[in-house]
Order: sequence, then C-alpha cells, then structure tokens
Amino acid sequence: MKLYEYIIRRLILMVFVLFGVSAIVFYLCRGFPTGFAPWAAYIHPKMTAQQIAEVIKVHGFDQPLHIQYFYWLQDIFRGEWGFTGTWAQNLPANRVFFDRFPYTVELSVAATILTIAIGLPLGVISALRSNKLPDHISRIIALTGYSTPSYWFGFILQLVFFYYFSLWGLPHLPSSGAVTSRLIGTIPKVTGLAILDGLLASNIEYAWDAFLHLILPSFTLAFISLGFLARIVRASMLEVLRQDYITMARSKGLKERIVIYRHALKNALIPAVTMTGIFFAGLLGGAMISEYVFARPGVGQAAVLAVFQGDSNFLLVYSLVLATIIVITNLIVDIVYVFLDPRIKY
Amino acid sequence: MKSISVGVRRGELAAKLADLKYTLYLLRKNPLVVAGSLMALFFIILSLVADQIINPDLAHTFDYTRSYKWNNPLINWGPGVAIYHGPETLPLGTDGYGRDLFKMIMLAIPLDMYIALIITVGSATFGILLGAIAGYVGGKFDEVVLRITDIFFAFPGLVLALVFAAMFGRTITNLMIAVLLVWWPPYVRLMRGQVLSEKEKAYVEALRALGAGPFRILFRHILPNSIYPILVQMTLDYGGVILTFSALMFLGFSPSPALPELGNLASDGYFHIFEAPWLLFFPGLTIVIIALAFNLVGDGLRDVLDPRLRR
Repeated sequence: MKLYEYIIRRLILMVFVLFGVSAIVFYLCRGFPTGFAPWAAYIHPKMTAQQIAEVIKVHGFDQPLHIQYFYWLQDIFRGEWGFTGTWAQNLPANRVFFDRFPYTVELSVAATILTIAIGLPLGVISALRSNKLPDHISRIIALTGYSTPSYWFGFILQLVFFYYFSLWGLPHLPSSGAVTSRLIGTIPKVTGLAILDGLLASNIEYAWDAFLHLILPSFTLAFISLGFLARIVRASMLEVLRQDYITMARSKGLKERIVIYRHALKNALIPAVTMTGIFFAGLLGGAMISEYVFARPGVGQAAVLAVFQGDSNFLLVYSLVLATIIVITNLIVDIVYVFLDPRIKY
Repeated sequence: MKSISVGVRRGELAAKLADLKYTLYLLRKNPLVVAGSLMALFFIILSLVADQIINPDLAHTFDYTRSYKWNNPLINWGPGVAIYHGPETLPLGTDGYGRDLFKMIMLAIPLDMYIALIITVGSATFGILLGAIAGYVGGKFDEVVLRITDIFFAFPGLVLALVFAAMFGRTITNLMIAVLLVWWPPYVRLMRGQVLSEKEKAYVEALRALGAGPFRILFRHILPNSIYPILVQMTLDYGGVILTFSALMFLGFSPSPALPELGNLASDGYFHIFEAPWLLFFPGLTIVIIALAFNLVGDGLRDVLDPRLRR
C-alpha cells in the first residue's frame, strides 16, 4: 500500500469513527429525560403554542430518536450546532466551544512541555541506571504520577501553594481561573491564548499573570502523563542499549557519553517522539478534571458543566472536535513514525 | 500413545515451573515489586476483614455536633480548623456527618477494591471474548470489532463515562458500567494480537488437525498461552479503574452523599477544603497508595515478562 492510499483509508475510517462517537453521545444525551431541552433556545416567551410546535417540527424534535439524529446531522452540515443550556447563557454551542478552546490548548501545550521536560530525563536516567537506586526513584515518581487522582492532586496543590503559602506569608500562586479577574478584558483578544495575547499586546503584566495561572493546572495534568512517558522511554532505551551496534560503538572505544547521546538516544526516542503527539491529544481530553478543579474556563470544564445539565448540543461539539483531533493526531503520529524509522512500511 | 502425550506434558510442566521460578526470582530482586506486593496484600487482607474490625453501622450513625472537627495533635492544619474536645481520639478527624474519618476510610477501602475488581475482571472478560473471536474468525467480523474499538478509543477523556453516569442515574451498578465502557477496548486489541500471533503456530495447526473445535483451541490452548500479558494489563489497570470510579463519585454521581467510598468522602471535603483539609487529603492519599501498590506490581511484572527486557 502506498502512503497516500493509507492516509485516504484512515481518513475514511475517521468519518466512520465520528459517526459512531456522535451517535453514542446523541443517543445517550437525547434518549433520556434530563432538564435540558435542545429546542429551548429557539423559543421566545412571546411565541404562541402553535409557533412553538412549528419550531419543534422544523428541527425534528418530535420525531423518534434515530430520525432526530439525521435532523441533527442535517443541521450540522448547514453549520447549525444548536444552542447550549443555561449554564452558558444559551449561546450557540460551537461559539461557546471555540471561545473556550484556546484555554484548553494553552493548558495542554504547557502540560505536554512539562511532560517531556520531566518524563524524558526520568526515563533516560531510569534506563542508564537500570535496577539501581536512580531507577527505583524514577520508577516511584512515574508510578505515583499515574496512581494519583488528578482532582485530589489539583486540590492539594491549591491547598499548599495558594492557601498555606499565603498563610505563611510566602509568595503564592493563584488557585483558579485563567487570569486575575481585574485584568479580564483589558487587552484585545487575538488568538485567545492568554499568554500569547498578553505578549502581543505587549502587556507583560497580563502575560505573567496568565503564566502564573497556568502553573498549577498544567502540573496537575502533566503529573499523570509524565509517568507514562518515562516508562516508555525507559523500555525503549533498554532495548536499544542491548543491541549490537551499541556494543560495537563501545568496543570501538567511544566514550560512554557519546555512545549514549549520539548513538542510543536517537533511536530510543522514536517511540517517545510519536507518543508526544498522542499525549497532546489525550491531554486535550484529559484536561477536564484539571480545568474543573482550577475553575479554568476551558472546554473541559464546560463539558463537566454540560454533563450535569445533559446538554447534548455542547457535548456533541466537544466530543466530535476532540475525537477528530485524536484520530488525526494518531494518523500523523503513524506517518511521522514511517519517516523516523525507515524499517517500518505500510 | 497416551503415555507419550503425558510424557510431553510433564516435560512442558517442568519447563513452565522452571520459568515461573526464574520469574519469581527476578521479581524478588526488585525491591519495589516486593514492596508493592506487600502493600497490595495488606489492602486485600484489610478489605476481607474490615467489616469485622469496624462496625459498618457507623456509616449511618450521624452526629452533626462534631462535624468537621480535628483533635490529632500530630498535625497542625493552621487556623480556621475546629478542634474536637470530646472523649474520643480521632486520628484523621471527622467528616461532615460527624463520623470518624479513619473508620470511614477503613470501610471505604473494601468497597472500592471490590468495585474495581469487578470492573477490571468484567472489562477484561468482555474484551478477551471479543478480541479472541475477532482475531480467530477474522474477516468482516474482525473489521467491525476493530472499528467499534476505534470509536471508543476516540472518546476524549472521561466524557463517555460522565455522559453515561449522568444519563443512567446514580446506582453503583450504573457507575460500574460507565467505568467499564472506558476500560474494555484495550483488552480487545491485546487479545486479538495474541490470537493472531498464536494462531499461526504449529500447535494450533496440530490441534486443528486433531479435530479440536475453535472454542477449545481458543480458550483451552491459546488463552492460557497468552494469559501473562493480560494479567499484567489487568494489574496495571486496576489502579486506573479505582481512579476513574472515584473521580465519578467525586464529581457528584454518588448514589448517596453518606456512602463510605473514597471518592465520595473526598467530594465532601472539597466544599470545605480550607476548614477541613483532612477530609480531602486522607481519602485521596488512600487511593494513591492502593493504586500505587497495584501499579508497582504490574509494572514489575511487565518488565519481567517482557521478552525484550528479560535477560
């Protein structure tokens, strides 16, 4: 199979996956009575009962569930994503999503950077000193990372770095939101990424404030994934170190440093590089609890709020966009893998 | 004929025993695996005897006069914390219902461990069945199963479990199904891969020639030969399952706010984080220790059983 054939095949499969994801969310959200009425936003208090019936009929809300799904699909292709519940002031679901999305992207980027910055060295150290004390310590850190409930870790960080640090009179980190409330709206919104916007408006105070707000949530988020990365790097590093060309390099009399950094690390990092893409996509979805705990106005927090109201419109936008990102990231990762590792062919 | 086959069996068994001995030796060499196993064993024994040590009725005994109180002098939580002056020593303080938090955690551990066990075994069984059949049958059925797992892999984070929990009401069973929905797909891929690689081996060919049916081949021969990776995956997932389940409880899907479950106890603490920080701290810490114990064992097992890393 040629590479472009492979890509086309995967993209066709992606359409199928998106249908599946939307059908499951649609069925779960619309199939059960919740407080949320998807047609509520179309209705004005001054409308007559007849007009209301008309609205419900046009959008197919009176049809059986499986037919409603096709009405919904039709609306989607017309660019109508429906309206959110009262938790987001009945604004259009796609607008709510894309207004909030940059905050989640910012958080996931920061968490990905932290994951690499901590997880990678941990894994390398672990492999080089395999089954010795540094390996044990790094293993404990890695495993504690993914044994820790992120809601708990987030609150403990808040408790220590916000509450206790301020009690002890130390400089403390902000505990909630994306920027301090007094700064909200002081700069024009260009990209939606708070730090970048602050820098673009050359408002250093804003950018710094946004950065401080990012530290605790991104660390909460990264703490889970850095363990996974460390374990992957360790395993692949150990495997590479055992190969003949490494023995060869050593027997040539190369210094251990050069053997490791020039020869071993390059090959050992291939799985790690590709995993980073998958982590980023996963962190976008995993940001839910971290955002909820730190009251960060991203899409993950919105999804938790939407779940409590059974807001199918927002949840559909959320799961469809993120599923698209996850599937496309996986595809890109697979393609990059071919370029990084010439042994692999599709 | 019979004696020959028995002879072969015996040789195989001896080889397996030697292999197992070597595995155990490798595991013993790793102090973290030993520590993890001891911790896991402790929690398993604890969950078997907890309701004999602590009266389960205490979970329903409320005393609002002593809610959110602390009287353990070893830890100072700072100002703003209410001190209990009554006769009882409360090592971990009290919760909102005035119950002794230490006893509530002791009662919560068996519940969480039991729930996580059912979810892990349930999702593994489901995934193994589906993956084994898909890998063995192949063709259209295999394709359909793979596409279905693709859909489940594409769900972002917790959203599937949350939506399911929100729609199907708050009973423990429904929450368990919600968590199971998230954890079964990897087993399908794992088992399918195992079956695909085992299927081509000579012994399967021989079994087929002898007239063994597909179910006999799959579940009497292929499954036992590929059980180790699955067991490792289950041990590693066990901690994650506890985290997911308690996260649902924490977010407020608990059937009753007074249920002694670790996530639910922590959820009570989150509204009182500054006046009663212990209420969030200790249940969460318990989750970390349980999950860590099983992850240590699983991680060590994976290292030892991984042919690429095994010496």
